[in-house]
Amino acid sequence: MSSALPTPVSPPAPGPAEVVADRALLSEIDASTRGPVFLFLVSGIVWLLLGTAFALIASIKLHNPEFLSQQEWLTFGNVRTAHLNSVIYGWSTNAAFAVAFWLMARLSRTRLQHLGVLYVAGALWNAGVALGIAGILNGDSTSVEWLEIPPYATPVLFVAYALVGAWAIVNFRYRQQGHVYVSQWYLLAALFWFPWLYSIAQIMLIFSPARGTVQSLVNWWFAHNVLGLWFTPIGLASIYYFLPKVLGKPIHSYYLSVLGFWSLALFYNWAGVHHLIGGPVPAWVITAGVVASLMMVIPVVVTGINHHLTMLGSFSQLRYSPTLRFMVFGGVSYTLVSLIGSAMAVRSFNELVHFTHFTVAHAHHGMYAFFTMVMFGAIYYMMPRLVLREWPSAVLISTHFWACAVGITIYVVGLKIGGLIQGWEMIATNAKGELVHPVFLDIVKDTLPYLISRSLAGILITIGHLAFAVNFAWMLLQKKAATDSQPTLFTTPPALSAAPKS
Amino acid sequence: MNFAPYTFLVIMAGLIMASGVYALYWAVKTGQFNRLEQDAKTIFDAEEPVGQVTDHFPGKTEPPAPAGKS
Repeated sequence: MSSALPTPVSPPAPGPAEVVADRALLSEIDASTRGPVFLFLVSGIVWLLLGTAFALIASIKLHNPEFLSQQEWLTFGNVRTAHLNSVIYGWSTNAAFAVAFWLMARLSRTRLQHLGVLYVAGALWNAGVALGIAGILNGDSTSVEWLEIPPYATPVLFVAYALVGAWAIVNFRYRQQGHVYVSQWYLLAALFWFPWLYSIAQIMLIFSPARGTVQSLVNWWFAHNVLGLWFTPIGLASIYYFLPKVLGKPIHSYYLSVLGFWSLALFYNWAGVHHLIGGPVPAWVITAGVVASLMMVIPVVVTGINHHLTMLGSFSQLRYSPTLRFMVFGGVSYTLVSLIGSAMAVRSFNELVHFTHFTVAHAHHGMYAFFTMVMFGAIYYMMPRLVLREWPSAVLISTHFWACAVGITIYVVGLKIGGLIQGWEMIATNAKGELVHPVFLDIVKDTLPYLISRSLAGILITIGHLAFAVNFAWMLLQKKAATDSQPTLFTTPPALSAAPKS
Repeated sequence: MNFAPYTFLVIMAGLIMASGVYALYWAVKTGQFNRLEQDAKTIFDAEEPVGQVTDHFPGKTEPPAPAGKS
């Protein structure tokens, strides 16, 4: 290991030789990820801003239908779909890649190899997403939820992802660390599972479509597994690394974290078909999905308890660490959204919330309050170690956190209440068995306040994203100042800041 | 009816299951589950040891000592 170390020009900070060597190694490992991480992060943030704009337009259209109604490429169907695809495949997947690469290098304790593969993959992935979103706005959506990207763009996405997956397995072979830390299990599994999910779904729905209701089964098997077998593992891998790392203490029970990984691997793949409760598919398939959804309580509770017990006694750190704030917000959201999700898979509760705004709130609870917040936390930790300087503005970090935290809370709580009211009104019957609300439009009108609350939440979230993007761009573009040699986030001796880049 | 895609899919499903079983077998064989408590500390090293808080808002030069009693 030590043969690959850069030789510091002058002895850096005083300290034992071992500390200096390790410090040099960590700096070198971090530096090796710089190129790919920047490529994926910068493109991810561009998609985040675009996706946020699409989201605001779609949200406003639901309570003000005349808004932008002259623009045919911005109909609700187009703009809502463009929002979903730009935040899922644009922002979230790009961010997940960036965080995964950085974590893999650190956990393997080795420099990233074969970076060219990642550059090609990054270029292809973003070209594919851009082509896909343009196609959607042009009206070429496939109309299969979560797979709307038109068939002329999906092969590009698949090739890009397959390159990353193959690269991850090759890179894993270079690892210097004998033990495979739980985060790395999650990362490798996620990078391995997604190409499988995506290719099977593409074959069975687009290129050689299965017949009849099998299509809907494949659709929801895929759509739910994207959350559970791609984004969830990346999010949990991040929490299992950053929570102990920021606090400087090991995870409370490593045993539980390993149990959580293997139980997720065993149960999650079955759960997606609970989306078809009441649908024309064999009852046993649905029942299997419901059972698996409830079994997910095991990995979720195990993870929640583990994170909480790790945090116990260290909650005061939330005041000082941006990463920890986002991670804890995301971790708590993970526990909540997953338990609510299991409840939503129970037939009686599903009857109430199916086809309502409750489901939309639930999706954002998972993808935003959990996953996106965790990604923000990870980025706040990674960036100073990649550019070797501080985040330029603490105020912008606080603005980002509070705008997004309050915004998504208003979004989720408001829309869930609206969804429950909508659900109750749609199924309410009187003693004679007649509908209490026979006019559908009345029910729609009753949801209006909650749709407006969503737009207000969206404005707050937009403010947060702008604060983040400004801080990010400022950090990348600012010139090195004299004070940069002593960042407070971490201690890099001045000599190493100037060490040759690998 | 063309069964070729389904044959392919069933083979793929079998392979993915087999890979999961093999991963578990590999983990047991290479002793991944043998020393769980020590392995939890593999993310720490001499530069970022146990007990050192590693993230703060920019500009806060005097980080508080960790209050953890783990």
